Amino acid sequence: MSDLVALVTGGTKGIGKAIARSLAKKGIRVYMNFAADAQAAETALGELKAEGMSAAVMQADVSDQEQVNTMIGTIVQNEGRLDILVNNAGIIKDGLLMLMPDRNWHKVIEVNLNSVYYCSKSVLRPMIGSKWGRIINIISPSALMGRAGQTNYAASKGGVLSLTRSLAREVGRYNITVNAVSPGVIATELTKEMDEKIREEFISMIPAGRFGTPEEVAHAVSFLASDEAGYITGEYISVDGGLT
Amino acid sequence: METAALVEELKALIIKNLKLEDITPEDIDASAPLFGSGLGLDSIDALELVVGLEKTYGIRIPDEDVGKEAFASVHALADYVIRSTK
Repeated sequence: MSDLVALVTGGTKGIGKAIARSLAKKGIRVYMNFAADAQAAETALGELKAEGMSAAVMQADVSDQEQVNTMIGTIVQNEGRLDILVNNAGIIKDGLLMLMPDRNWHKVIEVNLNSVYYCSKSVLRPMIGSKWGRIINIISPSALMGRAGQTNYAASKGGVLSLTRSLAREVGRYNITVNAVSPGVIATELTKEMDEKIREEFISMIPAGRFGTPEEVAHAVSFLASDEAGYITGEYISVDGGLT
Repeated sequence: METAALVEELKALIIKNLKLEDITPEDIDASAPLFGSGLGLDSIDALELVVGLEKTYGIRIPDEDVGKEAFASVHALADYVIRSTK
């Protein structure tokens, strides 16, 4: 068991939930943030607790700086520390740029990029105070290669990757690492509903010949969060079956 | 302009604009969706059509919300052009 405390944004579903579970499995006390779906949050919390893990849920819209500061302030007040931040919350609003409703540009930047700024800014004081910290940002192959219909999403994730590299240089001295993980196509509720033809098309682009699992992404995050990964910073790990 | 005449004009414009050389106006079902099925056009083809329509009729298709409505079919497009030029 450790006395570390982690916060996973968007942590009650899909990849975020798998990350929360894999950190909690190591004895880390995990706060799972969610935006709106209280029922999914209750379910996730119940699951982790049933497995004997130390977990809690926190409602906050991570694209709202005030809500972020309140959430992180509460955790630090409760625990006296916050050691690991996983910026996982994200949305997509795909569409071609020429015809993109302006709100779809702004919303994706707010939720995917601004949130990383707000959360990272808020955790740095406690992390620098304890001279140890791990920030892990979930990005996407769209940050690494072009994809038509995803200019907003790609810009947000590319922004997060650049932030990752620069922030790593600001806080390296304090034993804080800042890294990113880039999941490829991961099997979730969404891929289950995928059209058979589109599924085949996607799989044909993936050298591994299959979709990834949330647990495979979580494993990379858990590794970067470990003490042993302390000399890795400003980097990204692709967990995409060779896609990029 | 009368809707029926406009529908024919739009079909010709679509064929010319998107260089659909193997397709005649009769091949285009005026009540079928323009994109995603039927003609086999994708959303990137739509960009050129938007620019062509805006130039020809002095209308504006500002974003995909309007685009989806306007491109639901040639009939829908004709309605949109008529409404926008009134």
